Amino acid sequence: MNRLLIILLLQLFPVILMSQGWDTPADKKGKLSPFKFTDETRIVGEKLYLLNCKSCHGNPGKANFINLVPSPGDPATDKIQHNSDGEIFYKVTTGRGPMPSFKNALSSNDIWNIISFLRSFNPKYIQAFQPEIKSAAYPGATINISLLLNKKKDSVIVKLTAISPKIIVPVINAGIKLLAKRTFGMMPVDEDKTSDMKGFAAFKIPKGFRGDTAGNVYFSLRFTDEDKFGAFSKDTVIKAGEITIPQSLVKDRAMWNNVRKAPIWILLTFSLGVMSVWGFIFLVLFKLRDIYIVGEYLDKNPGKEESELK
Amino acid sequence: MTDHDNQQYKDRLEKVASVVLRPVRINNKGFILWMGFLIVAFAACLFAYSIQLRKGLIVTGLRDYTSWGMYIANFVFFVATSLVGMLISCVLGLIGFKWVKPVARIAEIIAIAFAAVAGLVIISDMGRPDRLPYVFMFGRVQSPILWDVTVVTTYFALSLLLWFFPLIPDLAVAKNKLSGRPAFLAKAYEILSFKWVHHEEQYRILHIAVRILLILVVPTAFAIHTVTSWLFAFTPRAGWDSSIFGPYFISGAFVSGTSALLIAMYFFRKNYKFQDYLTDFHFEKLGRVLFLVSIVYLYFNLNEFLVPAYKMKKLDAIHLHELFMGKYALLFWSVQLGGLVIPIIILLIRKMRKPLPLFIISMFVFAASWLKRFIIVVPPQAHPFLPVQNVPAEWHIYSPTLIETAITMASLLLALIIITVLSKLFPVLPVCELAEDEAIADNELLSGIENNSK
Amino acid sequence: MSEEKKTKKSESSEIERILESSRREFLKKAGLSGAAIITGAAAIYAGFRHEKGKRPENVIKVLTPDNRLVEIPADQVKDYKPGLKVFQTRGRAGLKGKKWVMLIDLSKCRNARKCVTACQAAHHLRPYEYHMNTLIMQESVNMPAYYMPKPCHHCDNPPCVSVCPVDATFKRQDGIVLIDNERCIGCRFCMAACPYSARIFHWQDPQNTEEDKGEIYNIELNVPQKRGTISKCLFSADRLRDGMLPYCVSACPNGVYYFGDENEDAVTNGTTKETVSLKELLKKNGGYQLLTELGTKPRVYYLPPKNRLFEFEEPDSGTQGEKS
Repeated sequence: MNRLLIILLLQLFPVILMSQGWDTPADKKGKLSPFKFTDETRIVGEKLYLLNCKSCHGNPGKANFINLVPSPGDPATDKIQHNSDGEIFYKVTTGRGPMPSFKNALSSNDIWNIISFLRSFNPKYIQAFQPEIKSAAYPGATINISLLLNKKKDSVIVKLTAISPKIIVPVINAGIKLLAKRTFGMMPVDEDKTSDMKGFAAFKIPKGFRGDTAGNVYFSLRFTDEDKFGAFSKDTVIKAGEITIPQSLVKDRAMWNNVRKAPIWILLTFSLGVMSVWGFIFLVLFKLRDIYIVGEYLDKNPGKEESELK
Repeated sequence: MTDHDNQQYKDRLEKVASVVLRPVRINNKGFILWMGFLIVAFAACLFAYSIQLRKGLIVTGLRDYTSWGMYIANFVFFVATSLVGMLISCVLGLIGFKWVKPVARIAEIIAIAFAAVAGLVIISDMGRPDRLPYVFMFGRVQSPILWDVTVVTTYFALSLLLWFFPLIPDLAVAKNKLSGRPAFLAKAYEILSFKWVHHEEQYRILHIAVRILLILVVPTAFAIHTVTSWLFAFTPRAGWDSSIFGPYFISGAFVSGTSALLIAMYFFRKNYKFQDYLTDFHFEKLGRVLFLVSIVYLYFNLNEFLVPAYKMKKLDAIHLHELFMGKYALLFWSVQLGGLVIPIIILLIRKMRKPLPLFIISMFVFAASWLKRFIIVVPPQAHPFLPVQNVPAEWHIYSPTLIETAITMASLLLALIIITVLSKLFPVLPVCELAEDEAIADNELLSGIENNSK
Repeated sequence: MSEEKKTKKSESSEIERILESSRREFLKKAGLSGAAIITGAAAIYAGFRHEKGKRPENVIKVLTPDNRLVEIPADQVKDYKPGLKVFQTRGRAGLKGKKWVMLIDLSKCRNARKCVTACQAAHHLRPYEYHMNTLIMQESVNMPAYYMPKPCHHCDNPPCVSVCPVDATFKRQDGIVLIDNERCIGCRFCMAACPYSARIFHWQDPQNTEEDKGEIYNIELNVPQKRGTISKCLFSADRLRDGMLPYCVSACPNGVYYFGDENEDAVTNGTTKETVSLKELLKKNGGYQLLTELGTKPRVYYLPPKNRLFEFEEPDSGTQGEKS
């Protein structure tokens, strides 16, 4: 009996978890848009919504969202509208289960534009907004970031300092992430870190981490808490990667390559075979000429001896 | 070499020439009616091709999964049948069987017609026939198609020469015996006989040339059909992915080629009144050849089907199930039994190796050979490695359309046109050789009959 | 029902609109860089012609191919559109230093088929003509069914390319196997040779024959499509040249696709734009490849349908074909 109950509960668990308890951390709930929602922001948001959200949530107000567990829901209904701006922002950013995270796909402005579009379906909504605060943690100071490769060449050491006209202090307890530039996006290196009491943090470079032909990697250091430190990043190139010399995939001779890169044996066999057979064919055709010459000679000189022919 | 000035030889030559040259005429009613029929039917089929040119291959039953169908099967069949030229004139001729002489030219005519048409039918399968020159301009030596184009062209040239060289003395003999025929024919014979005067030296040159050709045609003929088999065996598909496809195809080619030769021989014997030269003895011999090549082919069939059937690998199992018990079962078993097993059994009976029974058996074998190519080409494509999904229902099963069938018919008609023209304009039997060998052949015939009766 | 159809229609037109705008953006970019190349050369010439010290009023700065910044009179700038020869030369060469890979996470696929429709819109294909198809797979009775998107695998040992008689289909230095429908003779040997059934043939006039008339053939987009020739998945070579993810990859709403450069050991998710290590992703999730026993060396990887985000559902129309 008990076991049955547990199984039943386990069955319900994801449903309960997903439909009820998608809690937003308290400090994120109250987050406000840095700009006022206008017709322009709504239009931009609509475009983004159609591209990124519509395939699951459907058109707001049409209740044509797709049938999934948990249900994506129609954004025009209370299910989504009862969330605060900060809660919607958090959920879109982080995602959960079938709902993908949009933190890399959409900028925070993009997400605010989408929220602007969603709120246009809620007549009761009154917007509060708050222009962005920069570097709230160290007011008046410039934050200096330096990145260095350690001696063993397996970590990137980050040093954060806040510089104001009066003093220089280490930036402590700052959440930071290290990203490496790749063709289609920025790839996180190691986990996110927090700077220590001296303003230091170390990011481990994974074994075989790919650099360019010289081993260079384009790094970008960013704060994970942008509210506190601002959308600030430090970009730099460090020789921290494995030297990677790109090889053309078509450099070798192969059956599938073009004629100039065909295997030698096949080029030889084919051309020699064709040439020799057709050589003999032409030889045989010349025999026709010989037959003709002999015949013509005999025509003109009837009764000649065979020996004279040769 | 016998003395060609000998009076006895001249008499024999006179006699043979009168028989062989009798059908060389193009103004008789039968010929005009027959050619008229062939050309009208061919034109009708060409109209079908014009529809395909206008609308694209959509007019065929081919679609993305079964993308090779009747055209390719037909191509394989034509290449296969053309191999008889090599079988008769070389494998048998090089070994030194004298009895083969009267049928050698018929075999070469079949080889020429079928090799030429094989080259043409492949164009009907191309999505962009206008780009045919690209094969020569941008050819990749790694592609079996390039090999195929090369060897089919070479084989056609060799067959043409192998037909033409032994014909030169005959043309020289015949050029003065063409009374009542159009003047252009005598003129053509005059030019094509290359001043042939039956001199020893000319015979020497001719023999060297023919010898070279006989040696060249063996590897070329093997290449042409082996490469054709590789078009399939070079892919990983179940049903095609086989290492014995080369010999399997070649032995099959000998079967269809020999049956084609027997049909043609029977036709010439009947209509051209060649009973004295295409005798029961020749049929008996070729009946044995058909038996032999069929046995060999049966052996390869056993290997080709039993080996995968024992293991039943996933895709092989699906493919074989379709053949043995599924959609293609009726076709498969009628081809295997009616076109191979039963003919082999019948051919064991001596009475059945007479001209008429052989003609009937060959008709079955010939038709089965065509259907066999269809079985080899079409079913393996219906079950690729990944499932066939989300496509229109009619894409799952290939069924040829009327237009496709008509275009395929055109190829057969064209082959018949070529055979008719060659056999009506030029002597079908080798006049000089028969005159030379008549006595020897008579002896051999007698000894052959004696041997058989023992 | 009809409403659903309508939304589907508006949705596909929406995709087309987005594609159109991206294409325009691409043309703009190509036009700019092209203008730079041509005008760069013109600039040197123009520099000699103009008298010293007599600067024309309207000058613009352009970058020459050898990385010099030069000024040229604005009225001498000509718009540049790449012609067939440019498309062919660069299309056949491929992008230097790249080795494209695709990774498909089967645990996230719910058969939304956005990849399919986006691809078909970009390459002007009919609804049943696929460069990218989503299949329902089930290996045996007790094995679970799952959805499997299937593009061309752009093999490093491509059987289709080996058999091509005219070099119409070929492999590039960045690994992409392309088809040149200006060259293809329509023999369909490549279709017979491909174990992934990745190739389609234009049995009839392609969908946009009329609309595409006169457009310059772009080998990296395979548009305009031509009757009697082969077409196939191109890894959206035109988008890659522009630094963008392939059409299917960006269209997926569920984060199924990752795409990237093997040389960098990095793949980027088309939905979430997360960039991760290819090897790490394969290692952690038990990645695999299709039909490796055939020795084709495919450039497409799969993650198994484990811990699926969506339950498998039989599509409405029932099984649209045989199971594997």
